[in-house]
Amino acid sequence: MPINRSWFDQRLRLGGLAVCAVVLATGCRREQVTHFRVEKGVEAVAASGPPGGSMGAGPPASPGMQGDVPAPPRPNAPLAWTLPKGWSQEVAGGMRYATLKPPASVPGRVDVSVVVLPGPAGGELANVNRWRGQIGLPPLGDGELAAARKMVRSPAGELALYDFTSEGEKKSRMVAALAEVDGSTWFLKLAGDAEPVGTVRPDFLKLLESIRRGTN
Amino acid sequence: MARTRSRILGAAVDALTSLKLTIVCLAALMVLVLACTLAQVNMGTVGAVKAYIRSFVVWYDLPGSEYSIPVFPGGATVGLVLGANLVAAQARRLELSWKKAGLWIIHAGLILLFVGEFMTGLFQVDTRLTIEEGQTVNYVESPREYELAVVDVTDPTHDDVYGVPETLLTGDEVAVTGTPLVLKVKRYVRNAALSMRQPGDPPSPVTSGIGGGVTVRELAPVVSDDDVNRAAAIVEPVAGGRSYGSWLVSAGLGARQQFTHEGRTYVLAMRPKRTYLPYSLTLKKFSHDRYPGTDIPKNFSSLVTLENKAKGERREVLIYMNQPLRYDGKAFYQASFGKGDTLSILQVVENPGWLLPYISCVLVTLGLIVHFAIALRRGFRRGPEQQGRDAMEAV
Repeated sequence: MPINRSWFDQRLRLGGLAVCAVVLATGCRREQVTHFRVEKGVEAVAASGPPGGSMGAGPPASPGMQGDVPAPPRPNAPLAWTLPKGWSQEVAGGMRYATLKPPASVPGRVDVSVVVLPGPAGGELANVNRWRGQIGLPPLGDGELAAARKMVRSPAGELALYDFTSEGEKKSRMVAALAEVDGSTWFLKLAGDAEPVGTVRPDFLKLLESIRRGTN
Repeated sequence: MARTRSRILGAAVDALTSLKLTIVCLAALMVLVLACTLAQVNMGTVGAVKAYIRSFVVWYDLPGSEYSIPVFPGGATVGLVLGANLVAAQARRLELSWKKAGLWIIHAGLILLFVGEFMTGLFQVDTRLTIEEGQTVNYVESPREYELAVVDVTDPTHDDVYGVPETLLTGDEVAVTGTPLVLKVKRYVRNAALSMRQPGDPPSPVTSGIGGGVTVRELAPVVSDDDVNRAAAIVEPVAGGRSYGSWLVSAGLGARQQFTHEGRTYVLAMRPKRTYLPYSLTLKKFSHDRYPGTDIPKNFSSLVTLENKAKGERREVLIYMNQPLRYDGKAFYQASFGKGDTLSILQVVENPGWLLPYISCVLVTLGLIVHFAIALRRGFRRGPEQQGRDAMEAV
């Protein structure tokens, strides 16, 4: 059966349009910000290097959150502290030396961490401005640092204490102390929503005053 | 006027249905395959296939310049023309009759093969699932692309994960849709080496997070299939008119970096581009079997538990060489392993057109059988005398 030429031309035009549509649709694809809502607790595998073997399917696993720049070494001279009533201490992970938990009865978001880094760890001003940056406050100048600092005495020596509250409708607050002990700098930080941080602050100050050389 | 138009259209139709065009396209494909094979030395398999086979145009980068010139039609263009040629020729030349049924089926199979390759090129997504024994994972990661993950960790039960693709970091700023954040991109390096800052290093632009003590050195992007780039960027989150400082983000940084805006805490992390799944896999056991008395691998397999809470589904699946798990449009192949045989890496392929090549092969085979059967039947019907006359006429 011979094919009618006009029938053929009509289909050719339709086919051409379809091909153009596919080409344009695929050519105009632009990547966009994705969003997923996931349950807590999903983390990358700590693949700190390429896997031990390969079956010839793609590149080695790239490093996940673990990274190339290693976590700092443990300090030679550890510090200890007395936990306020109702507080608990969790096993440390990553950069943290310890994570402290205020009583669960405290409402709102609050986080207490202990981090220790070798040497001066960038200096006091840099660290203070880093903390301020984390809650959206502008950096301080050299001259303003002393005015913002309060000293806390402890058996292990004096700690420099800073207390910052963010601007905005929902305020965040950060109460952080640092001290250099035997060549390491210790950072103890209480951070979270302004209200619960204010509730926990007196206990946190007591904890700072109890800091001593030794182990818990 | 109408006659001229008709003549031009006729010439175009003749060209499109011409056998010469088929030959030219096949020759162009041969050139592309050869060039792609040679290019794999410098570009790697993935890069070469992308540049020569799955592109509409093959570009030549002018040395010492940022300009490129088109030098040859890419595999996608040639494939499109060849497909159009096949369809047009079939529609024009093949008569619509039972006698030609076999040829119609064969042509349909070939066209389906082209369509399948196009769908693979355009829509196939290759990712990877890395899992340790005892671990449960509900996401796959890109083996080559990174994303800047901005994770809102404020909610005690759920995280809101916003992924900014690496390609968007080449601009000046990115609005993180769904959050009040805008990320100002101060520097983006596709492949970076990180090291601890030395006294002689230039001042760091990083003002927040742990990146202030780290020096970023730019490396040439890798092309080998066995290497991966390690992207790094310095970004400044801004929200509500406030800046949250400049942060270094890189897969090479181990520590968690976060800031708080209006009571919501955001974690920043550069990591392989991640896609979350509505189900999870738990690796119960990875097996690396060897032939007795040797170190020669015999088999690799992963025993996983597949759990889809939304469907109330929970079952064990054994994934081994050439025996993937096919689920929800994805195929999970055993690809690699590590960490003393306790870590399994599955290659995850999502290809909506994966069945087309199989259907195509079946159609072509069926078409050949039908065509042969029709010819055989016709031969029997003619009888030996007619066949003899046909043979004499042919001589």
